[in-house]
Amino acid sequence: MSDDEEMVGYRQQPGKISFSRPGSGGKDQFSTLRDEGMIPESQGGNKSQPWGSHRHDELVTSSAIGKRTPLIDSREKVTGRAKYGDDIRLPNELIGKILRSPHHFARIKSVDTSAAEALPGVIAIATGADASAKFGVLPVTKDEHALAVNLVRHVGDLVAAVAAEDEATALHALQLIDVDYEILDSIHDMKEGLENSENPIHDRGEYHIGEANIQKRVYQEFGEVDNVSENAAATHHSNWTFGGINHGFTEPHAAVANWDSRGRLTLYTPQQVPHYLHRSLADVLEIPMHQINVYRTFVGGGFGGKSDPFPHEMCAAILARKSGRPVRITFDREEVFLTNRGRHPSHIEMNLHADSQGRLCGIETDALIDGGSFASFGHVTTYYNGVLHTAPYEIGAFHYTGARVWTNKPASGAMRGHGAVNSRCAVEVGLDDLADQLQVDPMTLRLANLLPPLSATITGFRITSTGMRECLEKVRKASDWENKFRKLPLGHGIGIGCGFFISGSGLPIHWDPNKFPHATVHLKIDMDGGVTVHTGAADIGQGSDTVVAQSVAEVLGLPLDMIRVRSQESDTSPVDLGSYSSRVTFMNANAAISAAMKIRQELLDATAEITGADAAHMVIGDRRIYVKRDPAVGVSYLEALHKAQEERGALVASGAYRTPPMGRAHKGAAAGLAPAYSFSAYAAEVKVDVETGQTKVINVWAAHDCGKALNPLSVEGQIIGSCHMGMGQVLSEEMVYGRTGHLMNGNLLDYKIPTIHEMPHVTPIIVESNDPEGPFGAKEAGEGPLLPILPAVCNAVYDAVGIRVDELPITPDRIHRNIEKLCRAQGVSDPLDLTTPKLKLSSLQETLAKRAAEHEQRDIDRRNNDGIEPYHNGALFGYDPTLPADEQSDEWKVSVIPTSEYLAEPRLAGSAWKHTERRHRGESS
Amino acid sequence: MPNNLAEAMEVAGRFIAAGEEFDWIAGGTDLIPNYKWHLNPKPNVISLANISELNQLTRTHIGAMVRLQDLTENEEMHPLLATAAGSIASVMIRRSATVGGNICLDTRCFWYNQSEDWRQSIDWCHKCDCGTEADCRVIQNQNDLCVATYQADLAPALICLNATIHLASPNGLREMPLSDFFELDGMKKNVLNRGEIVTHITLLEDSYSLIGTYHKLSQRETWDFPEAGIAATWDGKSLSSLKIASTGIESIPRDHSEQVEAAIESWNGSQSIDELSESVRKSVKPVNNTGFQPSYRRKMVKVLTRRSLKQLGIK
Ligand SMILES: Cc1cc2nc3c(=O)[nH]c(=O)nc-3n(C[C@H](O)[C@H](O)[C@H](O)COP(=O)(O)OP(=O)(O)OC[C@H]3O[C@@H](n4cnc5c(N)ncnc54)[C@H](O)[C@@H]3O)c2cc1C
Ligand code: SF4
Repeated sequence: MSDDEEMVGYRQQPGKISFSRPGSGGKDQFSTLRDEGMIPESQGGNKSQPWGSHRHDELVTSSAIGKRTPLIDSREKVTGRAKYGDDIRLPNELIGKILRSPHHFARIKSVDTSAAEALPGVIAIATGADASAKFGVLPVTKDEHALAVNLVRHVGDLVAAVAAEDEATALHALQLIDVDYEILDSIHDMKEGLENSENPIHDRGEYHIGEANIQKRVYQEFGEVDNVSENAAATHHSNWTFGGINHGFTEPHAAVANWDSRGRLTLYTPQQVPHYLHRSLADVLEIPMHQINVYRTFVGGGFGGKSDPFPHEMCAAILARKSGRPVRITFDREEVFLTNRGRHPSHIEMNLHADSQGRLCGIETDALIDGGSFASFGHVTTYYNGVLHTAPYEIGAFHYTGARVWTNKPASGAMRGHGAVNSRCAVEVGLDDLADQLQVDPMTLRLANLLPPLSATITGFRITSTGMRECLEKVRKASDWENKFRKLPLGHGIGIGCGFFISGSGLPIHWDPNKFPHATVHLKIDMDGGVTVHTGAADIGQGSDTVVAQSVAEVLGLPLDMIRVRSQESDTSPVDLGSYSSRVTFMNANAAISAAMKIRQELLDATAEITGADAAHMVIGDRRIYVKRDPAVGVSYLEALHKAQEERGALVASGAYRTPPMGRAHKGAAAGLAPAYSFSAYAAEVKVDVETGQTKVINVWAAHDCGKALNPLSVEGQIIGSCHMGMGQVLSEEMVYGRTGHLMNGNLLDYKIPTIHEMPHVTPIIVESNDPEGPFGAKEAGEGPLLPILPAVCNAVYDAVGIRVDELPITPDRIHRNIEKLCRAQGVSDPLDLTTPKLKLSSLQETLAKRAAEHEQRDIDRRNNDGIEPYHNGALFGYDPTLPADEQSDEWKVSVIPTSEYLAEPRLAGSAWKHTERRHRGESS
Repeated sequence: MPNNLAEAMEVAGRFIAAGEEFDWIAGGTDLIPNYKWHLNPKPNVISLANISELNQLTRTHIGAMVRLQDLTENEEMHPLLATAAGSIASVMIRRSATVGGNICLDTRCFWYNQSEDWRQSIDWCHKCDCGTEADCRVIQNQNDLCVATYQADLAPALICLNATIHLASPNGLREMPLSDFFELDGMKKNVLNRGEIVTHITLLEDSYSLIGTYHKLSQRETWDFPEAGIAATWDGKSLSSLKIASTGIESIPRDHSEQVEAAIESWNGSQSIDELSESVRKSVKPVNNTGFQPSYRRKMVKVLTRRSLKQLGIK
């Protein structure tokens, strides 16, 4: 015991420890001592910290964080007690059904509901006339109505809604509604969307781009764009086609609306973004927000497909208001596909350049994405297709043109890996090609071009922590890469792919981040000692309730069973933005920690008052608060709590999280900004049947840097689930539109999600880079892990047969077509005689290996050094790392407006810039 | 719900006399999804579930109501049947799905196997035209033929095992080789008359001396209907015993005896394997109404045939 620590007289007697009294401290009546193996070195524990200490170290009590924890609501789910959207049954309910457009694009001339109204059992009918206000998830692009007003924009667009006593009556009533349409020319090919049209699908008023169907366009130039091709020793060029895909979650959308006798609405719905829905409901129903309680039910999977406010939710509320009875609307699977918001069908041109030293001297990307008939998150998606591949590599130039067009299809939107997945696939496949051209190992090529920790990307994103290098190295080892790559027989191959993803979007959609926090958490502890957590974070099955409970339990040194989370109702929970952009763990757990720290302080102060010891020397553990060096001096958690409550009853605390100021100033600089980023590297091993073109993924080694695995069990689950979902997009999933423009496979038999038989053996590898700002060092694990599986499989197919994939999914017929082409090119008639790519290392390999080794040391030095200098993208190209390169050289550009030179010969999506906005043409309407 | 064959015939007879439409329902795994989508639903269904005569399963007698899963689990049965049955749908579906239902499976087409709203949106098609006299969407400008695809897995295996199918109707019993049961018409599908049912399939004990293979082309290893399926058998000695049959290509399963006979006339080892596979490919004409492109499916017929022959050890 050090001299400056006073000895205190107060000693808690063993017999007086009130743990075993019912309700006094969790279900376990016995002591569980602090596990020193989980207490970090910085706090005198035994947990080594190769990545340095963390600001939350002193809060570690070894109660919950880092333990493999089954989700706290898992029992509800496995016993069938959990109530999902359609499980909400209110007395006297009506069934709502929706009449949908049979036409791709048409003007509604009239809607006659009189025959349907006359049908016995029909209680209420709604049409577009019942709600004129527009809504949409992004305030800048509100373009949806509860029910079509004037125009229907795709087959399946909502026209009218009926509430009836039972389903059969409601369906019958739909047939009696007479709608007179004037059919308009529809467009289905996204390329057509770039051209002027007589009847654009939406009218953006003075902001309308030309008379075209362009919803959003982006132009960005960074770095030494002008002479990339000249500087290049190798260039990759590809033109990709990505099919549109749907989330394929298990639970179809469902909503139940009920107006109570005080005129308040409760809307029950499986939602990822209850708060955005809350706002939209107020707009559409024209009532104040406080009159609405949004009740998030259990969510049977979301993946971005439940992260818009939806027309059917409005319809349920409108019908319930009209009928005065609760109304339940549940979709069938076809309606889920017609609502969609899945990954955009895309055409992506990818050009990558490497110089003679194997540096990535330029990335030029052009992404045309098919938004379908509404904006949804598309504004953001258009940016993400570009900016999210400016890392993890240090690059010499970045040129991006992106455009999102409207077509008469169900709307595309946000889906796991939002906007990053397709172009990431194209980049990683391009790198594989560059390595092939340069005859170097693709792993080494990557390792020699990584941005370090505490650096800034070319567009100014702030990378705090990165475990990219460790991911690559672990995967290399686990997959036995050295003995497999380019060494396996025909039809058997291995490939690598990396990923980079945001851990929370830096911009709260509806307000200035400096004004309100992103996430708020309330805690309440009354005499029973149980902690109630109020949060608006939407648990969509990803485990957000569990992670917030774990965070609170950890700080207060309590077992998980003492924490109860109330996250379902907007009436009781503080505003949270919702479950998207992999923000929940980072932001919500940070908010929970800061609330718990306040309670912790109160408990420490109370303990100090009882024992007379100094609060600064106390620790929490084992449901006790005690002096670290003299554990007998202390009190039980309950004694401290009751002391703290003496004057004022229940303890309450509120904690909030907001992002630090960050990012640069160019237009669009906020897109892709995040307080932290995750990194991942996967190696995939595949077998390709060269006679049939069938691809089977047999092994995946999946390393993901999630910062810190607060719950390793969920992180592994996310990794394995991501492999499954990403594999679907690579191998078989696609929303197929036929020659008439109709969706041909809006059901789960014909929309081919891989089954258990298609699943490879996945080895999840967790890398913990200890993010300085993340809760206990955590970042994200929800979306990033999806990205690398696509390119890893594509690159493995190349290794196996020598086919450079540029169209997803790689269905057997597509691969077979490519094999036939390859046979012709190689002059063989039997595909079994094909020769596969070989690797004969060039002299560049050694240069890269040397640079990778130097960078490895650089990265270790940086992450373990507090007073570290800034590092800006560009240093690898000889610029002063401490300043952005554009502040050092005129060669180095930052530009977001195309030059006339570019416009003379634009790329595909870039051609969106040939139009002028109406307001600049002086003919605003 | 009739309790024996006689009762079933009587109920059917009554509906026929009254001019009322009906369908037989066995496991319902095909019929019920079709009814939900309003694909030619009838006002009445007659369930075969209680007719114990149809449940019999021996080496030589397979009742129409035998569940597919039972075929895969019964070690007495010819391994080819277990393989073919085991490739169908999933275990859960196979526990309901029956042999009779599989043989009588409705033909499939992506313009047809869609919800009612969807089909209305394309103004229907010939097979379920709702009185509009709509055209076929696959082969247009002819509205008297449906070319929907027969995608059941059991038939080619049974054809290769020389199975006989047995039918019963209020007018009596009849039987025929299985390949004669089908009719090249996506709507009529087979020879069954109104009120007639499949009672069982018989195999000769001799069939058990044949060895067989079944190769199925599909996107996924489970759930998916065959985009092409090739069954083949022989006795391991004499080429003249060789049989090949296909499914998933046209509106009926095909017996390829014609191609086989032509090939064995001048058999010349592995070159003949290629030639026979090629002539089987040439003999089939898939259309564009399933997941994969018809040209690909046709090419795969050749690959699968070649694989089957090699696997059978034919030289
Ligand atoms: C998801 C899914 C996947 C599937 N995958 C496959 C597959 O891979 N391969 C495959 O072959 N099938 C597949 N099927 C189709 C089908 O389930 C099976 O073929 C099954 O064997 C049908 O049998 P059942 O008893 O359910 O038929 P039912 O649905 O009861 O009947 C089907 C038809 O046969 C008629 N019928 C039934 N029994 C008789 C009888 N004894 N006499 C006269 N007519 C009769 C009925 O009237 C009806 O028209 C799939 C089905 C689903 C839903
Ligand atoms: S083949 Fe023609 S008639 Fe038959 S279901 Fe298909 S579109 Fe209809």
